Amino acid sequence: MSGLRVGLVLSGGGAKGAYQAGVVKALAEMGTQVEAVAGASIGALNGAILASTPSLAAGAARMEELWQTLATEPPLKYNLPAYLKLALAGGMTLSAGNLDVYLSRLSALAGVNIPADFLEFLGGGVFSSGPLHALINRYLDPEALQRGLPLYIAAYESQDGRSDLLAALAAEAGLRDTRPAEFFHVQSLPPAQQRDALLASAAIPVLFAARKIDEKSYTDGGLGGWIASQGNTPITPLLESGIRNVIVTHLCDGSLWSRHAFPDANIIEIRPQTSIARGGGFSDLLGFDQQKIPSWIAQGYADTRACMQRVMDATAARDALGASEKGLTVHDDSLPVLDADLNAAMARLRR
Amino acid sequence: MSAAIGKDSALLEVLGTLPEKFVVDFANGIDVSRDHIAVQRQRTGMFDRLCDGFTGKGQRRQIEVNASLADGVAGSLSWLTELTGSLAKSNLAISRVKQRVVMLQGTLTEVAVHAGNTREQLQQLEQHLNRRADGFEHELVRIDMVQRAGIHLDLVLSKWQSGVFAHLPLAGRCYAALEELRWGAFGDFYRNTAAVQRSSHLELLRHRALGQLAADARVAGSDRIDTTGWLSTTESVRSADLEEGLAYLGDWATAERAPFVFAAANVPYDLPMLLPRRCSAERLAGALVAEVFDGAEA
Repeated sequence: MSGLRVGLVLSGGGAKGAYQAGVVKALAEMGTQVEAVAGASIGALNGAILASTPSLAAGAARMEELWQTLATEPPLKYNLPAYLKLALAGGMTLSAGNLDVYLSRLSALAGVNIPADFLEFLGGGVFSSGPLHALINRYLDPEALQRGLPLYIAAYESQDGRSDLLAALAAEAGLRDTRPAEFFHVQSLPPAQQRDALLASAAIPVLFAARKIDEKSYTDGGLGGWIASQGNTPITPLLESGIRNVIVTHLCDGSLWSRHAFPDANIIEIRPQTSIARGGGFSDLLGFDQQKIPSWIAQGYADTRACMQRVMDATAARDALGASEKGLTVHDDSLPVLDADLNAAMARLRR
Repeated sequence: MSAAIGKDSALLEVLGTLPEKFVVDFANGIDVSRDHIAVQRQRTGMFDRLCDGFTGKGQRRQIEVNASLADGVAGSLSWLTELTGSLAKSNLAISRVKQRVVMLQGTLTEVAVHAGNTREQLQQLEQHLNRRADGFEHELVRIDMVQRAGIHLDLVLSKWQSGVFAHLPLAGRCYAALEELRWGAFGDFYRNTAAVQRSSHLELLRHRALGQLAADARVAGSDRIDTTGWLSTTESVRSADLEEGLAYLGDWATAERAPFVFAAANVPYDLPMLLPRRCSAERLAGALVAEVFDGAEA
């Protein structure tokens, strides 16, 4: 039997992305057939791993291996200049945080080519993207990704780290929503840009440097459409590609993403059955450690089983009702013949 | 590295295709509502309430809870409508089943009555056939007895004819033959059949005995000769043993009640008073048959 055919949405949430390894493992056990994946931030990286594996089961195994590695080898390495700027000068540094941009423009005018890594070193995020590069190189096969499931990622066009952060804070305060995130079909991008697109989608402002796609800077897709989680829960590209059955995973308690905004889609949400928070805030966002990650993987697995079980029980009951209803009419066709035979037999008896 | 992932057949079977949207919204909406309600319960402090009110998150969360509950109610209505429709079909089916049960019960009653009647008829038929079988059996026994009586008659008379009784007087021969018949199959037939049936056989016996007596005496059946001629024999062929045996057989006869048998069995010097002095073979045979079968039985 072919399993459930769905699109899979992997939301962003930093280290809580380990939860999605458990989700995918449970879905693989259920025989789910994922037709396409859409991810934001850490969900984009998880989605890339999944899309580049030959099956959901293989993807689940690969994701679990990756997250067990992340538990012992956190991908966070301080980018010293940026960290010092942030730590010592606070707001002043933020106002002068466009040094890399200025240098980049000056070098372009002077016709001098300055290496991007050097620019990132000067004006990038608090954390270096080097470890993430290494992880992507280790776990992601670009050719397999190119042949794999359609992968959509969300990225947010960045002004600069400070502006992006302020826009997010304003949206969080309910003053003004951020601009919508943009969605990229990864396999449609030039191979050289695919890795940058994945890193851009996961580039938490200030913490990681924005990445360039087609000369535009992009940062964490989770920033886009902040109020409705339009970017952080990127279901839109899946719906636009014609997929109507979607499983959506959330990486926060009480996500305000609304299924009711998509009335034509048939959506199963995997929501935490108990709090997903371990320490709260940044400690969870950057919580790549050996206590939290295994617990999130286990929770993702258990929550998926629980959420799917509820749907399964309801469906099984309804199917059983339908089957029993059909059973009521199974022998109706033969009744007239049986009646006629009985009447004929009784007529003979009465003669 | 994780353990190998196997397929969960139960889930796979149920979720082979995604269920209808209203079922998913109905079932999955519970998880959505619980998630929001759990957050609402945690955010009851003053700052949280102010923050949620200011940012609008509280209202949006409540809208989501309400929408999920509304979905749940709509799903319940859809399901209830479906369930009611299904229940109505079930009830209709049950009423049809009841109708058929009533109809079948009537038919079964009719069949049961018919079966009872048939059983009674079969019992009557059995009794009738048993009677017929008994009749046939009796008839067979009777026919067998007739056959055996006839064979016995032929056998005894053929013995007589062949001269087995030649050492006896003429009347003694006839009496000896009659006694042998009385104690054999012919006698059984005589004792076990009605007078109408046995009369013809006695008549036949009478004729055969008459014929044999007349043949032995070389006279016509109606020729009357001296009675002592019927009772005497020549010394050359006389057998004392046979005569004693004959006397033993005829010890039941008296000169008054069965004079012919008495005379034939005992060969007295003085003829009984009731015995005629001249007698034909016809008279002798008739009297001996009557005395042996009627007189002896009486």
